[in-house]
Amino acid sequence: MMNSLTPSACKANSSAGILLIGSVSWALLGAGLQVLGTLQLLVPSLAYLLPIPWIGYGHIAPLVSFLFTYGWISSGFLGVLLILIPRISGIPFRYGRLLSSAAILWQFAVLVGMAEILWNGSNGLLCLPFSRSVTALFFLSFLILGTGLTRGLGRSWKSGPLLPRLYLLGALIAFPLGLGTAELLLRGSLAPGALQIIMQFVWHSFLHHLWLTPLALVLLFQLLPALTGRPASSLSLGLLSWIATITLSGWVGNSLASEGPMPSWLQSAGVIATLLLGIAVLGNTLLLKPLLEGKWEECRRQVSLRFFAVGFWSYFASYAWLAFLALPGVRQTTTFTMVGQGTQALLIFSFYGNVLAGAIYALLPASRTIGWPSHPALIFHFWFTTLGAALLASAYALAGIFQGLALNDPGVPMTTISSYLRPFLVVVLAGQLCWWVGQLAFSSIFFASLLKLFPSVAPVAIFPASREVPNHPLHPLHH
Amino acid sequence: MKSTQALVLVFLALLFTWVGQVALGFFQVGKMEPILNEETNYPTPPVPSGLAQTGARVFASEGCLECHSLSVRGPSGSADLNRGWGPRRSVPRDYLFREPALIGQSRIGSDLSNIGLRMPESKDLLMHLYNPRQRNHNSTCPPHPWLFDSRVAGPILEKDALSLPTQDWNQLLPSYQAKALVAYLQSLRTDYPLPEAPLK
Repeated sequence: MMNSLTPSACKANSSAGILLIGSVSWALLGAGLQVLGTLQLLVPSLAYLLPIPWIGYGHIAPLVSFLFTYGWISSGFLGVLLILIPRISGIPFRYGRLLSSAAILWQFAVLVGMAEILWNGSNGLLCLPFSRSVTALFFLSFLILGTGLTRGLGRSWKSGPLLPRLYLLGALIAFPLGLGTAELLLRGSLAPGALQIIMQFVWHSFLHHLWLTPLALVLLFQLLPALTGRPASSLSLGLLSWIATITLSGWVGNSLASEGPMPSWLQSAGVIATLLLGIAVLGNTLLLKPLLEGKWEECRRQVSLRFFAVGFWSYFASYAWLAFLALPGVRQTTTFTMVGQGTQALLIFSFYGNVLAGAIYALLPASRTIGWPSHPALIFHFWFTTLGAALLASAYALAGIFQGLALNDPGVPMTTISSYLRPFLVVVLAGQLCWWVGQLAFSSIFFASLLKLFPSVAPVAIFPASREVPNHPLHPLHH
Repeated sequence: MKSTQALVLVFLALLFTWVGQVALGFFQVGKMEPILNEETNYPTPPVPSGLAQTGARVFASEGCLECHSLSVRGPSGSADLNRGWGPRRSVPRDYLFREPALIGQSRIGSDLSNIGLRMPESKDLLMHLYNPRQRNHNSTCPPHPWLFDSRVAGPILEKDALSLPTQDWNQLLPSYQAKALVAYLQSLRTDYPLPEAPLK
């Protein structure tokens, strides 16, 4: 639990602030560009009216994916962890300026990566669409931030719940290992031909399932018990799920390929790993679900708890969906379709996005001694982002299934398939617009709260309908 | 569980992932060699020209992979061969000389593994790049006019100029990038047999 708070740990942390401000800004920018990209898919004539290379779909699509993974989610998770870790370890950070420089460096890397993709286009590599210099910037920034996060982790190992620490440890080792290997093999002459494709899938798995998912699980396992006042019940089940997650997650990407350059045994291994990972996810679900049982009223009132609840169920849904896609027959039909974008939407917007939002609502007041206003924008944020993510994931998934079935019928011409996709793309566009509006609402509250423009009613964010001001279990004033 | 035990477990788990995919993949696919045709003494798959290798980078930077794949699947569970996207399925050896080696993620457009076979004429490919709707009115592919230069024409159009109605004595000439991209697209063909994927 969060009972090892020290006043020093609660000091305003500028590095976390930089990362969170960057995260919110990149999300807004990415959401806007995402709408522009879908508009071009929906109305191909736009490209004829405005033939500008750097805002073409070929540049926008990889850029949006880059901004969301590296800019919004990674930056945001690092930011909230910089608030959380000194509080759970009870050991404050030193070298604050160095950490702030690393946080600025991460934002600079995202900025340079964005400029590269806009002007020169992507290099085509999966989840690594930027140059070696951008990787070096990310790596350097991560080394400093990662060292900061691990500092004191060993000494305070037994002073709190074990599972968040285990997931943090896994993520902090997996990220540099995956990024370093991908960088060395994909850009040098070390990996010829099809090995490059294998390496791209490995890095895809590392980035999503061994970096972002474990970080989201750190927040879920640390903050859900703190917010609900209930500890996770079975440590042995948690340990089993953790070791299965760390061992199997790196193989998941292989299940996305079907035949072609991937050796068949590797694809089979990917399928088995994805199905087995489903069991690990079920284990974590069994651990986290009881924490939310009977907490309906609190979920209705507390913003962060509601975001965590949606994020937790999205975690289960994402991996159940991945396991379904790995099934023989389904995989052959859905490879090279929009189902992939649906899975990404489910992971990024529903799972990571909601956990990140919940963590920001829970932790920012605790670190900066600010409060959240009880403002209608909170309702906008929750409903528009949830609705947007649901529309996005379901429309992409359905579009992909239709696309896959049509592609498997050689009598259906490609232009007909494109016209089949159009109604789904309208729903995708509506989902993206909804999500953007929700994110705009969040940004207005986030920046206004940072600048203390609104009168804050509570350290914990509550929806405007409720007049009760609950105590915040994480806030220093509460202790 | 002690922190050192956890650290060892994480290392072992990640090592298993890394060795299982990267190291074993290296020994299986990374050491693959081309097949030498004893009659012609040419390797298969053929080594692409320097211009085609430059074109591969243009292909990636223009984002063609966002809508096109580069992998033909076999007859079980897919209609790729029936759609005429290639004479046989793609295998790891086909990607031996591709730098960067890419397969794409989505098929909003057709698979391009054998576009050099299906559309061998550079004029057709250049026309498609300039205006995809010139050949197919329903095409959703975006145009790439920035890959072409507009220059004043003499009495006769230059050899490379696109055969489009011109205005103000101008002609449209493909840039170096357009030529490289076309060379790359023409190099995309798998009409050679391999022991693991014979032509039928």
